[in-house]
Amino acid sequence: MKNAVSLLVSVVLTATFCFVIWVVATHDYRWEAIAPYRWNLLSGWWVTLQISSASLVGSVLLGVLLTAGQLSGHAIPSLLCRVFVEVIRGTPLLTQILIGYYLIANAVGWDSRFGVGLVILSCFSGAYLSEIFRAGVESIPRSQWLSAKAIGLTPAQTYRHVVIPQAVRRVLPASAGQFANLIKDSSLLFVISMHEFTMQAREANSNTYATFEAYLPLVLGYFLLTFPISLLSRHLENRFRYEH
Amino acid sequence: MSIETTELTKHYGETRAVDGISLTLPDEVRVVVLIGPSGGGKSTLLRLLGSLEAPSSGSITRNGRVLPVTEEGRLEIRRRNGFLFQSFNLFPHLSALENIVLPLVRVHGRSRDEATARAREVVARFGMEDHVTKMPGELSGGQQQRIALARAMAHEPDLLLLDEPTSALDPEKKAEVLDIVAELCEAGQRIILSTHEMGFARACADEAIFLADGRVVESGRGSALFEAPRTEALRAFLGRVMKW
Repeated sequence: MKNAVSLLVSVVLTATFCFVIWVVATHDYRWEAIAPYRWNLLSGWWVTLQISSASLVGSVLLGVLLTAGQLSGHAIPSLLCRVFVEVIRGTPLLTQILIGYYLIANAVGWDSRFGVGLVILSCFSGAYLSEIFRAGVESIPRSQWLSAKAIGLTPAQTYRHVVIPQAVRRVLPASAGQFANLIKDSSLLFVISMHEFTMQAREANSNTYATFEAYLPLVLGYFLLTFPISLLSRHLENRFRYEH
Repeated sequence: MSIETTELTKHYGETRAVDGISLTLPDEVRVVVLIGPSGGGKSTLLRLLGSLEAPSSGSITRNGRVLPVTEEGRLEIRRRNGFLFQSFNLFPHLSALENIVLPLVRVHGRSRDEATARAREVVARFGMEDHVTKMPGELSGGQQQRIALARAMAHEPDLLLLDEPTSALDPEKKAEVLDIVAELCEAGQRIILSTHEMGFARACADEAIFLADGRVVESGRGSALFEAPRTEALRAFLGRVMKW
């Protein structure tokens, strides 16, 4: 039964994959139409790489801060962080970008699209990461805390030497998924006219009507950004493996 | 070291886990054994005596000095104790040796070389020298408990507290661990332990205390408690646990 199911799944997946390849490969492409835009696409990819990398760092920092705030045991910081996380996670990124740029940044006279984009993406992704980190920390059994207490570690040392090393291993897969989302979510920055990868593809498309030729490079371009993260995550998971 | 408790009480909500215990353990009493039914307050009393938790009321005196109840004060006391749990509670991300080295370096300020040498010495004494590089997950229960005991012992604690150290082990592994504890008792280590191993309790106790419902029902020097129980509750308990 199990073998039959796995055979069926293999056959369906392989067939679907072959069909998609066949459709994509046999389409009548007009690559010459899009060729003049290749440098625009490349520069868009470069902007996406920059904003994603910067936001990745920003979201990890913010995620750690929000987690620390929620777990601090102090009522006010804990509540503020909780509210922040809930509001960010409960509203569309598109709206956050529009409000962030056209209302808030405008009101304080900040005109850097890259800067505002960086802050908004970091907030958005940081809120999700903080929930992943918090779940990771809370998944460490009470017995580990008790044991750390018994050997005389301070709460800070307990985090440093006992809880975080074990939590990192547990949050790696979910964090890698969130990083990949962050890269793809950066495409929404087109609404504030940031010339990132997707924006360049949209422009190329609207000027040439070569839709597939404009958008297909996005598949390769985004995959080139997300796949290394997936590989790195696997590598780190194996490095931190201690269960047998 | 003399230990006294005065009307020691610990509540968890409505439950009185320890309900007004007053004990006097003079210096010559080196090995104290707590016996009694599960849920009778043995673990809670050990945690109070080991400064892992603060009493709800009452006090503990060591050598005439009242033990502090603040978190900082209890941390200082914990650092001079060794504590062993029923379920070993080793850190799964650290090797057996690193489990012992961590508190020596981080809590007791030893250099890494010094700590490693000391850890190897204790491990060799417990017959575990071939297993130092293994992760806890690769060790049997008895081996894990011996490593945990080495961790609790390595800094030469003033007082060693063992909370049912063999309850999670099969009979053969129980003997391995009890042999080591008996050896420590003979070497003059001051120990308070809770156990269901009546044979061991009888052989090693300088003072045996029978706890039920959070109170001391009966206590006595040496093996007196086992040979001539005075209360019906202890007679019934011994009758049950010694039946098979």
